[in-house]
Amino acid sequence: MVRTAGRPLPWHFILPALLALAGVLLPMVYLLLRALQADPQTLQEIVFRERNLRLLGNTLALMLGVLLVCTLLALPLAWLTTRSNLRGKRFLSLLLTLPLAVPGYVGAFALLGATGPGGLLETLLHLNWPRPQGYWGALGVLTLFIYPYLFLNLRAALLGLDPSLEEAARSLGYRGIAVVLKVVLPQLRPALYAGWLLIGLHVLGDFGVVSLMRFETFSYAIYIQYSASFDRVYAAWLSLMLIVLTLSLLWLEARALLGLNLSRVGQGSARRQTQTPLGRWTPLAYGFAAIPIAGALVIPLATVGYWTVGIVAQQTGLSDLLDALWNTLQASAPAALVATSLALPLAYLGVRYPSRLSRALERTAYLGYAVPPLAFALALIFFSLRGLPFLYQTLGLLIMAYALYFMAEAIGPIRSALYQASPRLEEAARGLGYRPAQAFMRATFPLLRRGLLSSMALVFLSSVKELPLTFLLAPVGYDTLATRIWSYTSEAVYAQAAPYALIIVVFSACFIGLLLTQERR
Amino acid sequence: MKRFPLALLAALVIGAVQAQSLTIYASRGEGLVQPIIKQFEKDTGIQVKLRFGPDAEILAALQEEGSRSPADLFWANSSGSLEAATKAGLLLKLPPELLSRPSEFVPSSGLWVPVSVRFRVLAYNPSKIKPSELPASVMDLPQIAKLKGRIGWTPTYSSFQDFITAMRALKGEAATKAWLLAMKAAGAKAYANNPAMLDAMRAGEIDVGLSNHYYIQRLLAGIQEGEYEGKEEDQVKTPTSSNPAAKANVATYYFSKGDVGSLALVTGAAVLKTSKQPALAEKFLNYLLEAKSQQFTVDQVREYPVVSGIKLPASLLPFTEVVGRSPKLDFSKLTDLDGTLKLLREVGLL
Repeated sequence: MVRTAGRPLPWHFILPALLALAGVLLPMVYLLLRALQADPQTLQEIVFRERNLRLLGNTLALMLGVLLVCTLLALPLAWLTTRSNLRGKRFLSLLLTLPLAVPGYVGAFALLGATGPGGLLETLLHLNWPRPQGYWGALGVLTLFIYPYLFLNLRAALLGLDPSLEEAARSLGYRGIAVVLKVVLPQLRPALYAGWLLIGLHVLGDFGVVSLMRFETFSYAIYIQYSASFDRVYAAWLSLMLIVLTLSLLWLEARALLGLNLSRVGQGSARRQTQTPLGRWTPLAYGFAAIPIAGALVIPLATVGYWTVGIVAQQTGLSDLLDALWNTLQASAPAALVATSLALPLAYLGVRYPSRLSRALERTAYLGYAVPPLAFALALIFFSLRGLPFLYQTLGLLIMAYALYFMAEAIGPIRSALYQASPRLEEAARGLGYRPAQAFMRATFPLLRRGLLSSMALVFLSSVKELPLTFLLAPVGYDTLATRIWSYTSEAVYAQAAPYALIIVVFSACFIGLLLTQERR
Repeated sequence: MKRFPLALLAALVIGAVQAQSLTIYASRGEGLVQPIIKQFEKDTGIQVKLRFGPDAEILAALQEEGSRSPADLFWANSSGSLEAATKAGLLLKLPPELLSRPSEFVPSSGLWVPVSVRFRVLAYNPSKIKPSELPASVMDLPQIAKLKGRIGWTPTYSSFQDFITAMRALKGEAATKAWLLAMKAAGAKAYANNPAMLDAMRAGEIDVGLSNHYYIQRLLAGIQEGEYEGKEEDQVKTPTSSNPAAKANVATYYFSKGDVGSLALVTGAAVLKTSKQPALAEKFLNYLLEAKSQQFTVDQVREYPVVSGIKLPASLLPFTEVVGRSPKLDFSKLTDLDGTLKLLREVGLL
């Protein structure tokens, strides 16, 4: 990479970057304000106790396990759907991304309902699959529903990979696996790190799945503090502890990325990628892809659908359904766009102007994601009512909240794409007389297309199923698909939740499908 | 994006023409709330703006909003959250006419009214356990040898915690701690919530579980609504059904009368201090206690009413029997949630 350190940072990227950061840092300020209200004695009792340390250990063990299994799943799948000669790769990619559309707690509950004696699998297929529970249950279920974070990141990176590198390696005498290890994998490092970071953060923050699997993690302690004690002070302490954990993850990732050097140095544009014929491995490849599709889509959705069987008076009005659908769309789609626009300058600065400052800027974006969403929402209530009261309970604030919270998900794919887009092109454009902003738009932006689309997909899927932010920040009387599902499942009225759960997946599928068709151009 | 400003405009216009509108924060499931609210709007012409979410979320939001809160009413899913709102000084004192309507369970503070009643019961798997094998008191549950490793409970669930608070009030701190430890020693399995626990019973993980009564009722999918004799148009098309796979193996076991295992818990609603129209808000509370709304709660939610004269489905106990089931206990003693959480932490359950 061309050394760019020391150059002044361009203002047209700095400004939006700072804006995004201000949004993300607000929750930190809020948490600190609340944390300061603590009383030392109670603090000792609730926060600094041996059990929390044990929960922390559980969390770390779970995170490492999930990271490992997600990688073993996502890496081959990403390769198969980009570089092999499998048929229907695009459709397969769609199916493999969709588990992200299933709200984790719904998925976990459906999987529980499908397994064990009397479960759906036994009823229909006479298959007595053991019920997922404990560490392995949490590991398996979390993996099924969050591996797509890594899959999407890797996929974008693989699509952007210049095949001439692999050809060069082959011409130097490397073959097969050696090419993958020496050339492909190193190129995938930014995508791997970005995906791992998201998955790591997700595991740190998950409560819904682990609680259903009866595996206690640290976020469990936070959730209990908010929900059982109706407390915001000690919950803030616990949240800050979680954020410290996140900071160390971010630090690790930053170290790993240090001095990464991946863009093409050659002239001209990247060539079309060749497809590796799978031959007799084809059935095995399909079988492998079928595992997550069955586990995260088919079985949970079939279970949810099965709940509606035999219900005489199905009360779900079509108008309610359409209402919730429309509400979901009008918040999530703009949020995807805004989050991606906010993430772009952060990623750009981090990649093109590597310095302590720019890296720190980029990393801070992840901090918002590390705050428990409930605390994030409370912070926005706190500040919007004090600063911008007219914004409170408007759609605008909800979109902002989604965008700021999920910005971290948008950074990864953009960053991977930036690493692969040569800065030379932009420099050449500037040499031709374009101003910096124009040069970026003309030379680099078109190369980021795939990354941007992946980013939007990730943010969209997360916003669609988001709960605490929606509950607290949406306009009064505003139902989304996810809040409806929560409402019905929390009262154990599954049959009425089912249509919403099915719609959320179909709807997300349409959106992802739309994005994937854009990839081709 | 087009519809929202339009809706806003419409709301403004309507608001100008007819100034009466209420903002309600509800932490009950929307399906249980919305029909009553729609009917209220129809009957009174008052517009309702509804925000809903879990107890903790709503309560935290109310506190962050402080004096700027646009809410008039808090309709809560547990007395615990209402007591927390009481402690935080969020609630407005209610008039005695309103407080005298429910036949029982009115808090001495007079800051909220009960809306429905639920009971703590034992769910059991009738193909594994006979009722005769179960103890009269929940206090003896951990001593039943056959149930070792086969009991489920929900230590993080608010109703469970209220039950422990009641046990502390009735049996004392030491006995409660001993019971908790005995349950742990008996291998009680902790579940995230009641539906998850009942599903585990279906799958044979456990044979009994400490639950709220209505979860079992809903699982049993009370489609057999023969007892109902209301007018056709009043009749709610009930079947809030559930996982049919789980239908088979669950039944309700009632501990003896007056046992802490038969504790009654209430949901309720309150007027917030931030309300600029408390009279209108009280009108809504009155509406919740009317026969029509109470009947809906019974039919749809499977909870017990707080006023008499409501027809109960056959699967529920008669109202008179119900009122006497719960142990006699000063309701204000159920507010020491902090003490309960401390105890649960001490024995390592939280």
